[in-house]
Amino acid sequence: MAAVVTQDTGRELRRIVRINEEIKSVVATAFKINLMAMNAIFLAKRAGQTALGFGVLSNELRRFAMDLQKQMTALREMTYGSVATVTALVKQARLNRVLDRARKESSGLGRSIIDEFMRSRHGQAYARHREQIAALNRRLSQMIADTAQLVELGSVLARSAKIEAAYGGPFSTSLMQVSSDFERTIGEIQRSLESLSKQQD
Amino acid sequence: MKTARVIYEEGGHKWIALVRDPNRPEYLIDTNEYLVIDGDDAILLDPGGNEIFPAVFSALSAEFDPRKINKLFASHQDPDIISSLSLWLEFNPQIKCHISWLWTSFVPHFGGNQDTFIPIPDGGSDITVGGQRLQTIPAHYLHSSGNFHVYDPKAKILFSGDVGAALLPPGDESLFVEDFDRHIRHAEGFHRRWMGSERAKRDWCNRVSQLDIQMMCPQHGAIYRGEQVRRFIDWFAQLEVGLVKG
Repeated sequence: MAAVVTQDTGRELRRIVRINEEIKSVVATAFKINLMAMNAIFLAKRAGQTALGFGVLSNELRRFAMDLQKQMTALREMTYGSVATVTALVKQARLNRVLDRARKESSGLGRSIIDEFMRSRHGQAYARHREQIAALNRRLSQMIADTAQLVELGSVLARSAKIEAAYGGPFSTSLMQVSSDFERTIGEIQRSLESLSKQQD
Repeated sequence: MKTARVIYEEGGHKWIALVRDPNRPEYLIDTNEYLVIDGDDAILLDPGGNEIFPAVFSALSAEFDPRKINKLFASHQDPDIISSLSLWLEFNPQIKCHISWLWTSFVPHFGGNQDTFIPIPDGGSDITVGGQRLQTIPAHYLHSSGNFHVYDPKAKILFSGDVGAALLPPGDESLFVEDFDRHIRHAEGFHRRWMGSERAKRDWCNRVSQLDIQMMCPQHGAIYRGEQVRRFIDWFAQLEVGLVKG
């Protein structure tokens, strides 16, 4: 039983590490979108009247990239917070394991002291830590769902930019290229978020 | 499970050695822990590492209520000495740990807080257990830079930490040194490598030579008794230490 608990908490810690890595990759991609949107704004300016709509959408995409970065920073802070909770759980699980062994090796007074201890403080502390982890996971899932909605908006903006690019006259090919890059990059973020959701499941 | 062996008893004053765990994994060095009881009070000397806590706890509780242990002594900062601190604190959060001042901000990484540690000054200090005064004897650089041993003037026992330690071969389970010449061969390499200072060694030999010692109890290996204590001090005084190769 104690070994299973230790494995569970170890798995939980590894899961947080994987989530953090995924968040880092989304943050890097959001930064890329921000730069791409800035370039798109300059390109739209050069294209003039024919790319007015594209320019508006590029501005929106830039705002989207900044919102996404903020959202991911909050997500990262939350996972950092959960490292402390999971570490406490790992420590508790380790204590569980040692006490379990001590109980098996003891008899008489020693065993009854450990039984009493595990019934009172120790068991409660472990249950409390597990509940904290569950609450953190619920908040994390909610935040990932909110982020997915935000990214869906980004995806719609990228598609609209593609349509606007068709009206770009002589700049149409360049605008099409830029909007396709937006679409592909936002697609990468969507895949990362799907992966994050799976980690939560 | 370790065995609890009473090595001294007079009235309510008692020394219990917690030794030889047959279930100990080979990758862990074998350690001896000592419980000094005086009446209803007790101190555990070098309580040991996390991994051997179950063996120590179970052997100890067969002889004494572990909840009544309110003092620990750590000869130095090593994990095989004191990494079980957090576990003892679980059973008694008020427990105090006596240790060289040098380590009072390092050992809290194993557990405890600013109230847990009672720093021992370099010159040593006394620890009262029940009605008995125990003396901490400076043994700096043998092998740790902040290192103490414990002398009990009533029982005439010196707890000598790593000094006197022997890495006994498998199957040698004797609690006391039976044949000094044979035993000391298992101590030689350890002392040459772990004891880093000739000067510290000479100081220690001079210091403990002034004490009336009937038993010298190391943290690893067997206990020296009677004349063997003098022989050990003489042997150690002559031994060249601080060598990488024995």
